[in-house]
Amino acid sequence: MEKNSFWSPYVSGIGLGLTLLATFYVMGKGLGASSAFSIVSAVATQKIDPEYAGGLEYFSRYLTGGSPLKDWMVFEILGLFVGALTGALISRSFRLKFDKPSHMTVGGRLFTALTGGILLGFAGRLARGCTSGVALTGGAQLAIAGWVFVIAMFVSGFIFAAVFRRMWS
Amino acid sequence: MNSPLYEYGLFGEGASLIVALVAGFFFGLFLERGGLGNPHKLTGVFYLKDFTVPKVMFTAMLVASSGLYLLGDLKLLDMTRLWIVPTFFWPQMVGGFLFGLGYLVAGYCPGTAVAGLGSGRIDALVTIFGMIAGSLLFAVVYPALEHFYMSSGLGTATLPSVLGVNHWVVIAFVVLMAGMMFYSMERFERKTH
Repeated sequence: MEKNSFWSPYVSGIGLGLTLLATFYVMGKGLGASSAFSIVSAVATQKIDPEYAGGLEYFSRYLTGGSPLKDWMVFEILGLFVGALTGALISRSFRLKFDKPSHMTVGGRLFTALTGGILLGFAGRLARGCTSGVALTGGAQLAIAGWVFVIAMFVSGFIFAAVFRRMWS
Repeated sequence: MNSPLYEYGLFGEGASLIVALVAGFFFGLFLERGGLGNPHKLTGVFYLKDFTVPKVMFTAMLVASSGLYLLGDLKLLDMTRLWIVPTFFWPQMVGGFLFGLGYLVAGYCPGTAVAGLGSGRIDALVTIFGMIAGSLLFAVVYPALEHFYMSSGLGTATLPSVLGVNHWVVIAFVVLMAGMMFYSMERFERKTH
């Protein structure tokens, strides 16, 4: 593995914090991630079955406007992808791979990657955001939301890591 | 005082999407270079093996927090025009708890899954499809959850406003906690490696 090629976590943290601060200053809001996938979900559902999508009250918040994909968060996620790709390329650490714990089968990893993703998508909607939009942005604003989310997330992670002791270790 | 720039109409919606691309670019660059596109590092904290996630996260939070409140105090940023993350206590508590499980199982959170994909990880793409499906699942069951989803709303409540103290008291406290946390993590890592 590319063990020592990463930047110091404190350097990355300062860079990330300055990015968030600049976003506050320029946009008047913070960074996010999960809502972009909720918008894509709404648009995909509408493409497949417009009538069904139209009946979903929660998705109406995205689908009432003209072009739902012309959204700030969707563009931010596109930028995130390009930024991460650039980071992997300049450090020569880009590898096309199916990453999994060494003891796990490919089928097992497909299952954890998918079910974990479903849980993230669902939980992110319930919490009105994720690690980026609620924990990082809300935490930096000292909003109660950010700190409630961050504490619940870490407590849960530690509990379930004790339950699934061999999942990643 | 003419910031947040967008809120004061210094540029329009089209230009805001370019800002989104630029902000996202640096977000992704720092996540990936910090090692947060790697599911082994992302889950390492829960097994007390790798503390990259809390180190990056709390450093970023403190930098942004002190910068934000400093700009506010210096009247360089109009805090009343800042969109504060709204608090809905119980949905965010339960959501955060479910999210922690999803993060552990997937090995990613939403932003880091995109960073993982950017570094070439196909499993992250599977997680992204899962997140899209999970959002649909939420929309499908939303009528049954709406009551809970809208409950325990505290609006734009912040720690300083609820505790009735100056924001620098809270920031100083967080700096102290994070400092102690970083110190013990560094010591722990030196011992176990």
